[in-house]
Amino acid sequence: MPGDGIIREPMLEIYLFEATQLMEQLEEISIDCEKNRKIGTEAINEIFRIMHTIKSSSAMMMFNNISVLAHSLEDLFYFIRESKAINIDFEKLFDLVLSGIDFIKGEVSKIENDCDADGFCEPLVLKSSNLLQDMKEANGVIIKDDVRQKKEDTKYYISSYEKLGTEIKQKYFARIFYEDGCEMENVRAYTVVHNLKEIVSEMYHVPEDIIESDDSVEAIRRDGFLIGFSTSTSKEKIEEQLNGIIFLRELELQQVEEYPLELKALKAKIQIVLENPITEKTIYKEAILEETTDKLDTNKEEVGNIIKSGKQQSIISVNISKLDMLLDLVGEIVISEAMVTKNPDLEGLTLDNFNKASRQLRKLTNELQDVVMSIRMVPVSTTFHKMNRIVRDMSKKLNKEVELVIIGEDTEVDKNIIDHISDPLMHLVRNSLDHGLEDKEERIASSKPPMGKITLEAKNAGGDVFIIVSDDGRGLDLGKIYEKAKLQGLVTKPEGELTDKEIFACILLPGFSTNESVTEFSGRGVGMDVVKKNIDSIGGAISIESVVGRGSTISIKIPLTLAIIDGLEVAVGTSKYTIPITSIRESFKPKENDVIADSEGNEMIMIRGQAYAIHRLHRIFNIDTEVTSSNKGIMVMVEDNTKAACLFVDSLIGEQQVVVKALPTYIKKAKGIAGCTILGDGNISLIIDVNGILDR
Amino acid sequence: MKKVLITDDAVFMRVSLKTMLERNGFEIVGEAENGSIAVQKYKILKPDIITLDITMPVMDGIEALEHIKAIDKNAKVIMISAMGQESIVRKAIILGATGFIVKPFNEETIVKVFKKL
Repeated sequence: MPGDGIIREPMLEIYLFEATQLMEQLEEISIDCEKNRKIGTEAINEIFRIMHTIKSSSAMMMFNNISVLAHSLEDLFYFIRESKAINIDFEKLFDLVLSGIDFIKGEVSKIENDCDADGFCEPLVLKSSNLLQDMKEANGVIIKDDVRQKKEDTKYYISSYEKLGTEIKQKYFARIFYEDGCEMENVRAYTVVHNLKEIVSEMYHVPEDIIESDDSVEAIRRDGFLIGFSTSTSKEKIEEQLNGIIFLRELELQQVEEYPLELKALKAKIQIVLENPITEKTIYKEAILEETTDKLDTNKEEVGNIIKSGKQQSIISVNISKLDMLLDLVGEIVISEAMVTKNPDLEGLTLDNFNKASRQLRKLTNELQDVVMSIRMVPVSTTFHKMNRIVRDMSKKLNKEVELVIIGEDTEVDKNIIDHISDPLMHLVRNSLDHGLEDKEERIASSKPPMGKITLEAKNAGGDVFIIVSDDGRGLDLGKIYEKAKLQGLVTKPEGELTDKEIFACILLPGFSTNESVTEFSGRGVGMDVVKKNIDSIGGAISIESVVGRGSTISIKIPLTLAIIDGLEVAVGTSKYTIPITSIRESFKPKENDVIADSEGNEMIMIRGQAYAIHRLHRIFNIDTEVTSSNKGIMVMVEDNTKAACLFVDSLIGEQQVVVKALPTYIKKAKGIAGCTILGDGNISLIIDVNGILDR
Repeated sequence: MKKVLITDDAVFMRVSLKTMLERNGFEIVGEAENGSIAVQKYKILKPDIITLDITMPVMDGIEALEHIKAIDKNAKVIMISAMGQESIVRKAIILGATGFIVKPFNEETIVKVFKKL
């Protein structure tokens, strides 16, 4: 099929978007069905529809391998739907469906990356047709080649209409050829018969068996569709009607004394079926009117809404890069707003009207920012539901029974963040399944339910979102972790001086892995340190809790958004730094003798009986400043999830919302700096990476 | 300009049809993603032509066709079918569908069918 009719780019994008969405939907349904070992009518219909849609769209886009595979799966579910099959090998069926999904997803991602969708669908298609055959046998269906041909009544030709008997009837013979490639010639022929029915009193046609026989299409293509009929309608009118046939290539219409031989032979064996189309129509009309009202009610509201909003869809899909751009622009506007309203030229002036206007501007920029942020928010549900598949595949391979419980899937976070947590989550779930959960025998022996449980939870807490992965497995062994960490040289303090949380946090360090043997799923050389790195990169934090024999819980705290944060501006020498408000515990002016130093010159301060390390920013970043003595500057106590320490700065400037900008790429690694921002006066302020500083 | 209402559960198909028809002088007055919405919209928008996909959730194309024919027996309905749906299309013709298109289709096909109406 020529693709010239389609504007490629936008269509391709819609295709990819819809295909991806449908595959995810299908995956969810499949896993659900497999888990419950039952497949309801609704699910069958839905799977059938998804496959049907994929088949057609892919064919339109000329991705034939996808189309062919979707077609074969569609056939499978068509059979299940039509035969109401009971004996279904769920495992086999959904293994196949899921492999099909993987295949289609693979092809779709190839297309997304501008590669050719060149995968071989044949093995899967073969599997699918074999399974169909098996199912037919298992369900005692007599194997007929085409299950699609539903049993229908055999009234496919009509003859003898005694209408308006007083008029003179004439016999006609017509031969119709359709255009090449118009498809379904048999149904087209049927349309002709159906439309002529109204005006003819008798009619014969070749091929006679138009719909039911597979050969009819071939015959019509080869010899044309032959009809003989008798009518009182004028030749012109008939000609006009027949010429109106869509895809008509050639029409031959003759007034005849007697029908040609091929039609005559038919006449003898034709079964006479009298139909009265008028009564038929009236009956169904009455029946429908009654049921219409209540059936349509369900959708009324929806329709009303759509129509009110200007006949258009209420949801549109937007390319994420456009949203990124929008967010960038809003960031710039927030900065420009500050640059204008806090312009140094305005200092000392009385500007009542200007202030009024700038307040309004600020209010609107804030609103704009909120709206743009909310546009970018997406629920975590898709990411969470992806885990279903992992749990399913792994539990099968590891032979563990596992239930995945999902809580709070409606919780929303920024699109960028979602993309960053998907991999870490997958890793955590894999870990839980592989190392956390015991196998069945072990669980029964320790009087636990044989089925393991992994809980995935998301919830909002202030400006953060918590994502919690917990399992009821064997838990983490505190002592073992400590020993291992010590052996690897990752800890120096004695065990008694460390809190449980601190010891558990060791598993997040690079080079730590308690599992000696590498398993297929978890031990791929990517450990928890990669998870931590990923989470760190979005300004999140991980904490681990565990009780031996009861299970472990890993909580990830992530910010709602990456782009704009609340920060505390501080001055060090002539430079300005931004400390994220979320990591600040308190700030205070120290007394000189509060500060103590150990033998190596590491400074610390005692606050409420506890010692905290002091990091002097001017030393860390090598800045000349006059404020060096402790009593002249300010201490800002910051905390990471496990540690807290004090940052020593010259002075506090104020709290401000800042737009986070990445450091330019030529600065490869700046430990302690998370990014930068532009201040209202046009100056650049570096944003402190608290984790980085505390790790020093 | 002829007014067309497009019904299909797949966005891709709706956009394809819409693009092709708009380029050939048809006005798309609305889109529906299932039969039930199509029937509702048909009543309100009163299009000259309505296209109905066959396989759709909530209410399929055949049922929608019956409803639409009951509302307006002269309604011009084009069924959008796929290979293998011959007997369903036949049913649609009996119920009064004006014509049908087989997926996958191209612009040429669409124009031929729609210009004949």
